Amino acid sequence: MRYPKLEHFQEPNVITTTADFIFSWARSHSVFPFTYGLACCAIEMLSSGFARFDVARYGMEVFRPTPRQCDLMIVAGTVNEKMAPVLKRLYDQMSEPKWVIAMGACATSGGPFYDGYNVVNGVDKIVPVDVYIPGCPPRPEALFQGLLELQVKIQQHKFVAETPKPAVATPAPAAGKEV
Amino acid sequence: MGLEIGTNPMDMNAIAARLVADFAAELTDVRVQEPDTVVARCERAALKDVARRLKAHPEIGYQTLNFVAGVDHVRHLESVYHVYSWKTNTYLELHVEVPKAKAEVDTVCDVWPAADWHERESWDMVGIRYLGHPDLRRILLKDDFVGHPLRKDYVDLVENHPHA
Amino acid sequence: MPDQFATAAPDEAVKLALQRIEESTARGEGSNVEGLAFNEVVVNMGPQHPSTHGVLRLVVTLDGELVKDVIPVIGYLHRCKEKLAEKRTYYQYIPIVDRTEYVAGMNCEWGYVMTVEKLAGIRPPRRAEFIRVIMAELNRIASHQVAVGTFTADLAPLGTAMVFYMFRDREYILDLLEEVSGARMMFNYFRFGGLRYDLPDGWVEKCRDLMKRLPKLIDEYESLVQDNAIFLQRCVGKGVITQQDVIDYGITGPCARASGVAHDLRRTRPYSVYPELDFEVCLQSHGDVFDRYQVRMDEMRESVKIVEQALDMLPKGPVQLGSLRAPYVITPPPGACYTGQENPRGEYGTYIVSDGSRYPYRLKFRDPCFCNLQLFPKLLSGNRIADAVAISGSIDLVLGGIDR
Repeated sequence: MRYPKLEHFQEPNVITTTADFIFSWARSHSVFPFTYGLACCAIEMLSSGFARFDVARYGMEVFRPTPRQCDLMIVAGTVNEKMAPVLKRLYDQMSEPKWVIAMGACATSGGPFYDGYNVVNGVDKIVPVDVYIPGCPPRPEALFQGLLELQVKIQQHKFVAETPKPAVATPAPAAGKEV
Repeated sequence: MGLEIGTNPMDMNAIAARLVADFAAELTDVRVQEPDTVVARCERAALKDVARRLKAHPEIGYQTLNFVAGVDHVRHLESVYHVYSWKTNTYLELHVEVPKAKAEVDTVCDVWPAADWHERESWDMVGIRYLGHPDLRRILLKDDFVGHPLRKDYVDLVENHPHA
Repeated sequence: MPDQFATAAPDEAVKLALQRIEESTARGEGSNVEGLAFNEVVVNMGPQHPSTHGVLRLVVTLDGELVKDVIPVIGYLHRCKEKLAEKRTYYQYIPIVDRTEYVAGMNCEWGYVMTVEKLAGIRPPRRAEFIRVIMAELNRIASHQVAVGTFTADLAPLGTAMVFYMFRDREYILDLLEEVSGARMMFNYFRFGGLRYDLPDGWVEKCRDLMKRLPKLIDEYESLVQDNAIFLQRCVGKGVITQQDVIDYGITGPCARASGVAHDLRRTRPYSVYPELDFEVCLQSHGDVFDRYQVRMDEMRESVKIVEQALDMLPKGPVQLGSLRAPYVITPPPGACYTGQENPRGEYGTYIVSDGSRYPYRLKFRDPCFCNLQLFPKLLSGNRIADAVAISGSIDLVLGGIDR
């Protein structure tokens, strides 16, 4: 017996959109972050995991040290040329679907060390970034805002995307006339 | 208990005078920098011998190395050794001039074991080669980095930025 | 499609480890097992690892569980600080010094500011000196909380309650520091000749309040692990640093004091107003992991005493020299100067060579963790890998300082 898979549908319909809703809701509320704290932002990431700023209320307290078990890589700290290949390998080792948050000014664009000879100006030169969190270091509340933005982004994941319809030619309005 | 600090407190000028007396030929330009440092200049060729004798000095044994810094003064390089004496609780800052054309100086790893990584960093950053070092390779930069960044004439190279 | 299962080509450190195995095999110390040339395996720990406290990479040569050799590879956080010093003015560089040992920002700033003040011949007013002491000691407590908290978190991965309690209480200290400077971690508070802001109203009472509560909280931390048989078995007698190591490698800070060496720069090379304050240098005698933990707990208590005394002795007056604004442009006379300052991790020194311009000519940090890390191969060899994790946690490394 052949079961229909979601990807077999050509167009989104009530089955795929309901599946989208349920799976995305589940994914966004139980994200497993990857402990990729490199520098000072890592200490703020740790603080946000502990008692006062509790990241467990968003379902994200399960920080796994191995990329194989994670969805979300929070790059907290400066990436330099020596670390960049390592970061790329670890990103490749994560399984889909995966997201990246660039936490802090250094991961966003190099930060206060932007003109260093060894500094990569932003982790988005190496991996695709979903959410940027500015700050040096960003407060735990700022990290939470970034995580909540990411939840919104995760909830937009679709199993079957809408195919773009061909454009219908509309006549350009004559100059000077009201449409 | 244990290792005592300051068992032989000496006046700074007395220390400087003692160094001048004992190392007349090798140490030049000995002066006192308040409050606790004696600054001296040493010849490159005499460094190893001076280091051994400084460490083994009976009254002011400079037994611990604090750091080794490489400095690029544009005409020449300099290797600065900052050592500490437990007995007198003072520092000695030893400047060794290194010519840029042949940037080599003897290692002091066998005298002060702490020099190991400091000399590697000086090689990495400034390009002073320490002869006799057990494992002189780059420490802070990646292995295939081109150039020595803390030189004044260092130019940021494209090879060093594959991820720019 | 990137090959996520590919093994990276061996780099210099791994090649060195393999070469050492070959040499020891050639010397006849190969395997005693039939069919094996050698017993050792080269394993990579890091740079991303839950227990290495930052981006430290250890290339470990293991014989079963025994660590035969460790090659630390650093530089994964090298942010070109010493070169940046030559591109920024003295004043612009203050926030960057914060980020050296990011857990103890106030202490790092003080080390840098002290050196520049010595070069330029500036002495801050007395009130500023006392407030500097208060900030440094508060930051020392916060730093030890992170250090001991993450150390116990390594012994049992987040399984001990201690790290949660310590981080909770660290928040109280960070609240105080945030009220004064505006930031939780990167303070940018010290200036040449004083401080950026004076203490806000009511801060002294809040600080006194917290100092009354802290000793009980520290007792609470100790009660969590002190009598735990497993903690004691994992910590006592492991990773001994001898006094000869302290001399040879320039070990400073709690690691040296745990070995019985009374090297505390606040007493041996006193700076600022420390000669007027009454506190003890915390010493232990064995130099093992437990003693280093104990020294840090004792130092937290001593820091509380220092802060209370400084609050009592706090004089009135300005916190800035002369006019209202800090000197934005400072041009120390040509020369070179080194000062060492007692960081929570040891002697944090700054060596500045000035050529009379607005920019430092050469800035070199003498970082305590860089010097302590040199001892790793000697310290970790011969222990099991689990002990290696405990020992490396007890040395208290902050990679921001090691890599600069």
